[in-house]
Amino acid sequence: MSISTQPARRTIARPKGVLLPLALLVLVILAAFTLLPGLIAPHDPIALAMADRLKPPSLTHIFGTDEGGRDVFSRIVYGTRYSLGVAIAIVFASALFGVIYGAVSGMARQGIDNLMMRIVDLFFGFPALVLALAVAASIGRGLDSVALSLAIIWWPGYARLVRGEVLRLRERPHVEAARALGVSEMTILRRHIIPFVVQEVNVRITTDIGYALVAVTALSFLGLGANSPTPEWGLLIRDSRPYFGSAWWYLVFPGTMIMLTATAFSLIGDALASRRAA
Amino acid sequence: MILSVRDFAIGFQREGQNLVAVDGISFDVEAGETFVIIGESGSGKSLTGMSIAGLQPPTAFVSGSIRFKDREMLKRPDAELRKLRGPEIGLIYQDPLSSLNPVWPVGDQIAETLVAHGLAGRAEARKRAVEMLERVRIPDPRRVASAYPHEISGGMRQRAMIAMALAAGPSLLIADEPTTALDVTIKAQMLELLAELKHEMALTIILITHDMGVVAEVADRILVLYAGRIAEVGPADSIMLQPSHPYTAALMTSAMISQTPAKQELNAIVGGAPGLGAFPAGCRFHPRCPRAQNDCKAVEPPRRKFGVVELACHHPIEAAMSLTAARS
Repeated sequence: MSISTQPARRTIARPKGVLLPLALLVLVILAAFTLLPGLIAPHDPIALAMADRLKPPSLTHIFGTDEGGRDVFSRIVYGTRYSLGVAIAIVFASALFGVIYGAVSGMARQGIDNLMMRIVDLFFGFPALVLALAVAASIGRGLDSVALSLAIIWWPGYARLVRGEVLRLRERPHVEAARALGVSEMTILRRHIIPFVVQEVNVRITTDIGYALVAVTALSFLGLGANSPTPEWGLLIRDSRPYFGSAWWYLVFPGTMIMLTATAFSLIGDALASRRAA
Repeated sequence: MILSVRDFAIGFQREGQNLVAVDGISFDVEAGETFVIIGESGSGKSLTGMSIAGLQPPTAFVSGSIRFKDREMLKRPDAELRKLRGPEIGLIYQDPLSSLNPVWPVGDQIAETLVAHGLAGRAEARKRAVEMLERVRIPDPRRVASAYPHEISGGMRQRAMIAMALAAGPSLLIADEPTTALDVTIKAQMLELLAELKHEMALTIILITHDMGVVAEVADRILVLYAGRIAEVGPADSIMLQPSHPYTAALMTSAMISQTPAKQELNAIVGGAPGLGAFPAGCRFHPRCPRAQNDCKAVEPPRRKFGVVELACHHPIEAAMSLTAARS
């Protein structure tokens, strides 16, 4: 009876050639850094060794050392937990809240739905940096305030995505069939709508982790995030600025890590999206 | 009498205009019969079927009365309607693939109806789902119960849909163009199955279709709907063989392809069905009717008894001349 009127999906090309395997390799390396930093890092990331300060890359310090004589590679390895960990936490918290919010909005009557979406607009319009400053001012500078402020501006994206999907899926014949057999709206949502929404959300989560990582490191770089001596990647770059003329490695390696990580998540997200569309 | 529809109307408001899709129809359905609602697309047949189960679009306005087992269905709270759908009224739709959820096994979806109405626990419901699959003549029901919809054939999916609709033991089954998506042999099997299940489970069936072949197989009584109005209603035999309303006659001749000589042109009805909000004055069929006269353009024909049928026509076809007249 109903004709599905799916909007034309944005077609995303599947990453070609070695890009996807490389992205997966980066992911494996990041997982190793996060789970077993003690096994991989050759040096202590915190202890100072003033005799070795600002040494260029060598066999003992492959990424060189910083102004405190600490091994930059070891600091990057330990820092993965902070930078990537916070990024993942932000995205998962936002997704969880956004999915629930969006699903309720999509199933609700029109008036309630409208109200809920205007609230989402309110959050969308809020500038991230101003919010981060405000949160940092009220609960103190640190990764927790970064996580909180980014999660506050991040969830509305999920709420909107999920509401749109729910509205689309509600008209699907299998949902109508379930309704015709007296299945309750809650059960319909849980069994006949959410499983399809989750596929869409998975793609978004993957891509978003890369973006969130950039956002977290950017806020740390601006001095709103991690405090020394936490080896957070954004903070490494912030600390490296005075020495850029003489110690390029101190800036370049953490910067490269951020770029590689963000790109890897973006590529994997594209691969998931292209598989969904196919 | 299991269902009684009186002056039922349904319509939509669009740009401040009232568009009436079904305009005051009345009919009764007796327990145990197969009642066929037939009409072109846009005649309002699906909307009527959906409204019986309380599934009309929420934006529609309705009037009149639909009484199912002495319960008024229109304007009944949603929660109460939900309790009736499944245990009292079952529905099957035309597209068996998209009507099954691709992420759950077939058996789970049949069991869901039972669980939703508290008729069985999860384990018991699953057992009953296998029994239901057996009941709709699916070979190896245990295997099919744990298969996903894409793993079974189109005919099996439609059988699974029927099992879903009948799992909670309804007395009324509404089938909205259940055979449209099926090929001819499977269609025949499906109609046979419905007829058998009707006897086994003491069902009343309301079949909504535009397929004359289906009508001929199963109908006890037929309601012909045209542009939201009843053209003719009566016993299947007399409507099929001696149609009195010119529209019915035209429908029947256009369907008799197999009985006409190969070289004869197909009898199509001239013109197209009027769109919503553009119904002509007087008899709604008059612009396409070969028997139309001046009174048809001005006065809407009242419903009246005519032989064994009831119809709304100023100039019905007399029994003796019916088929020849329609063909000429």
